[in-house]
Amino acid sequence: MSAPNDSRAEPHDTPALEVRDLVKTFGPVRANDGISFTVMPGEVHALLGENGAGKSTLVKSLYGVHRPDSGEILRDGKVQHLDSPSVARRSGIGMVFQDMRLIPALSVWENIALHLESTSGVLRPRQLRALIAETSERYGLATHPLRKVEHLSIGEWQRVELVKVLLGGLRLLILDEPTSVLTPQEVAGLFAMVRRLTAEGVAVIIITHKLREVRQIADRVTVLRGGRTVLMNASPHALTDAELITAMVGEPVETLQRAVTPPVTGAHALVRLNGVSVRRPDGDWGLRDLDLEIRPGEILGVAGLAGSGQNELADLLVGADGIADGEVVVDGEAVALPDPVRMRRAGIVGVAPDPVRQFVVPGMTVAEHTALWNSAGMFAFDVRHADADLRRRDAMAELRVVASSRRMDRLSGGNIQRALLTLALTSDARVVVASYPTRGLDVLTTERTRTLLRRLSEAGAAVVLISEDLDELLALSDRVAVLAVGRLAGILPGGTADRNTIGELMTGVEAA
Amino acid sequence: MTSERLVLTRSRAWDVARSAHRAVSWTRVGIVAGAYVLCLVAFAAFAAWRGANPLTLIPTMLQSSLLEPSALAQTLLRAVPIGFAALAVAVPARAGLVNVGGEGQLIIGAVAGAGVGIAVGAHVPGVVGVLLTVTAGTLAGGLWAAISGMLKVAFGAAESVTTLLMNFIANDIMLFLIYQPWKDPNGSGQPQSRPLAASIRLQPLLGTGVTLAVVLLVVVTVGLWFVIRRTGWGFALRVVGGNPMAAMRNGLPTRRLSLSAMTVGGALAGLGGVLNLIGVEGQLRPDLTATFGYVGFLACFLGRNDPIRVALAAILFSAIALSGNGMQISEGLDGSIVNVLLGAIVLTMLTVGRRTKEALT
Repeated sequence: MSAPNDSRAEPHDTPALEVRDLVKTFGPVRANDGISFTVMPGEVHALLGENGAGKSTLVKSLYGVHRPDSGEILRDGKVQHLDSPSVARRSGIGMVFQDMRLIPALSVWENIALHLESTSGVLRPRQLRALIAETSERYGLATHPLRKVEHLSIGEWQRVELVKVLLGGLRLLILDEPTSVLTPQEVAGLFAMVRRLTAEGVAVIIITHKLREVRQIADRVTVLRGGRTVLMNASPHALTDAELITAMVGEPVETLQRAVTPPVTGAHALVRLNGVSVRRPDGDWGLRDLDLEIRPGEILGVAGLAGSGQNELADLLVGADGIADGEVVVDGEAVALPDPVRMRRAGIVGVAPDPVRQFVVPGMTVAEHTALWNSAGMFAFDVRHADADLRRRDAMAELRVVASSRRMDRLSGGNIQRALLTLALTSDARVVVASYPTRGLDVLTTERTRTLLRRLSEAGAAVVLISEDLDELLALSDRVAVLAVGRLAGILPGGTADRNTIGELMTGVEAA
Repeated sequence: MTSERLVLTRSRAWDVARSAHRAVSWTRVGIVAGAYVLCLVAFAAFAAWRGANPLTLIPTMLQSSLLEPSALAQTLLRAVPIGFAALAVAVPARAGLVNVGGEGQLIIGAVAGAGVGIAVGAHVPGVVGVLLTVTAGTLAGGLWAAISGMLKVAFGAAESVTTLLMNFIANDIMLFLIYQPWKDPNGSGQPQSRPLAASIRLQPLLGTGVTLAVVLLVVVTVGLWFVIRRTGWGFALRVVGGNPMAAMRNGLPTRRLSLSAMTVGGALAGLGGVLNLIGVEGQLRPDLTATFGYVGFLACFLGRNDPIRVALAAILFSAIALSGNGMQISEGLDGSIVNVLLGAIVLTMLTVGRRTKEALT
């Protein structure tokens, strides 16, 4: 339980970690196919790559979750065998997973006690809590040891994870996509803590697919593609964004540039929400007193921390959810909700926030899903022509949808998303409610999807873009609406919206 | 254009070939066939231990259930209530509902049929009498199941529990009627209803021993197979059963669909009940259904909710039950020993069955 070593004084000749030709296969899949890179003490090393490039497999080998088939892992110049996560933890490796592993019903300090190797039968709560408080303060990680984990925000949750690994005598910290759920302010806090750690000689590996973060925090970067190292131990400052993306994807990708569109004035709203409130099944307010206009030819971005009412908004607009108060006006006429058929006939289609739960019908093929989509509440299902229709749509969307005879529930998340996008973005809709449209997609398909959304809005459709990715929102939106605990915290013009302002609105700093 | 179309055709042919390949997996066929043989061997061993001759056992069973023309007719007649009860499970299952109420729906169908049959008696021509009786039984079964369906869509009450409880109520209603108002004055004190007029009873067809009821089971089975696969209603039921949330988001009337599936299921069982009444029994009596409803539930499980396979399973179960008669006569064993075979088959299929969740196609 010692504090991280202060080994800054020594010259950093021996890498804290060296990976040589690491291979890990799962059946016929070579997830890691000869990966090499080095991490020096006191360095932040970014692992960059697309979904499926092998980043997660690699760090799981480093944390002792997987055993590599071949290759070597050296720590401070010596070969090390990491047979299990507890071996890795004892040797000073700490990892913060993407899906955080805390027990909601227990308090913060109890969760930390569970994790510690030295916890042997007898707990010494007071001593442990003092230690947690000291560590939290030292690294600027505000935590409340006595609070139950279930009441924490996602940012606090992550800070508890960090305190947990910091208490273990940390030499190498692995962060798996740590920023994907954080506000810009929380990202800044996380990076400040990372810098404090590196100043003490701790080596940090950060997995990401965001170039901006690589530039912000990383000293060196290694790019993985298809399980191989395509760029090793490079300095990010010597590379352009285009070069990094090309390394990730394997071919140059034209990223969508912000188009300056004239503000839509006077256009009459397709959908108007007047003081709308929605109750969640658990009785809490999902949306509270929301006023919003959805206008043709405009991309309305919706930002907010996870669970701030985005999903309720998306469900409401496709008619899947009823309202507790207020009114929803479509084409000048108030509608009684829930009524999915009414909303669909008004030309509103949705990219569901949770496709597996809300879109995929187990046992049915892609063609049958197409027939269901086309029925649009008319109770006529044309399975026979569904294949031809899907091909027509695929030719328009170019999202490379899978064969229509495949069963939807057996597809990967990315392929399900492609099928859903192909249907939703080629339906001649007047309003497209796209929730997290690019989640789980590769870089090329992501860019294609963004282009399609932009084209729809240029053709006069209204697009509601709900996303956790602030960069995506800022690049596409004409206006950005920020939700905080179900309320509208503010609407900013997309072109001039600033990340920090959005972040403050998300956490309700200005609203409070 | 031409080359594009060529590619298209080829890929579609490939898809078809692949799905055909998936449909017939020889390993699976082998496993299932092996499982049945194993059940027979285990049963023969058990019967031998109880004193039967294992070598003549199987021929005797076949003789008394399938090979003799009169035995085959008996098997098919008994397959009617079991088969309809099994279909009554299969239709709601498409919509993700578990109907354990086949037994009660059979009873209530028979009760309604008996009521109408006794009332109209010989006052109307036979055909009209039969039509009225059968319609009454079918409607009663449907309404009976619809009660559970309503409880489900209105209050979210688990249909697997309510349908089961409704079985006891149905049975009590029948017992009340045959002990009190409908009691047969010529029944020498036995609790049974007055017999139906001969004009309402189904007669054997052309000396075959089977009645119209068997033909009806075949027709309804094939019809259901078509309805489930080829109609919008069948498609929508699959969507509701597979993912109710997706069904709702696509504008399907999920409550009405669930209710309709339950009602149709109940109507099928009611039809089975009334056909068994006018075809075989002729009057109400205790143990009229002899757990056909529950055997039907197992037959539906064995047939994986596919109407045709479900009906075949019902015939198999019926044959097994009747083969007990042969055992009793020639081997001197209690006929109920065949329940060992029935149980073995169901248990074995439970274990080798759903390795991978099968498609609801």
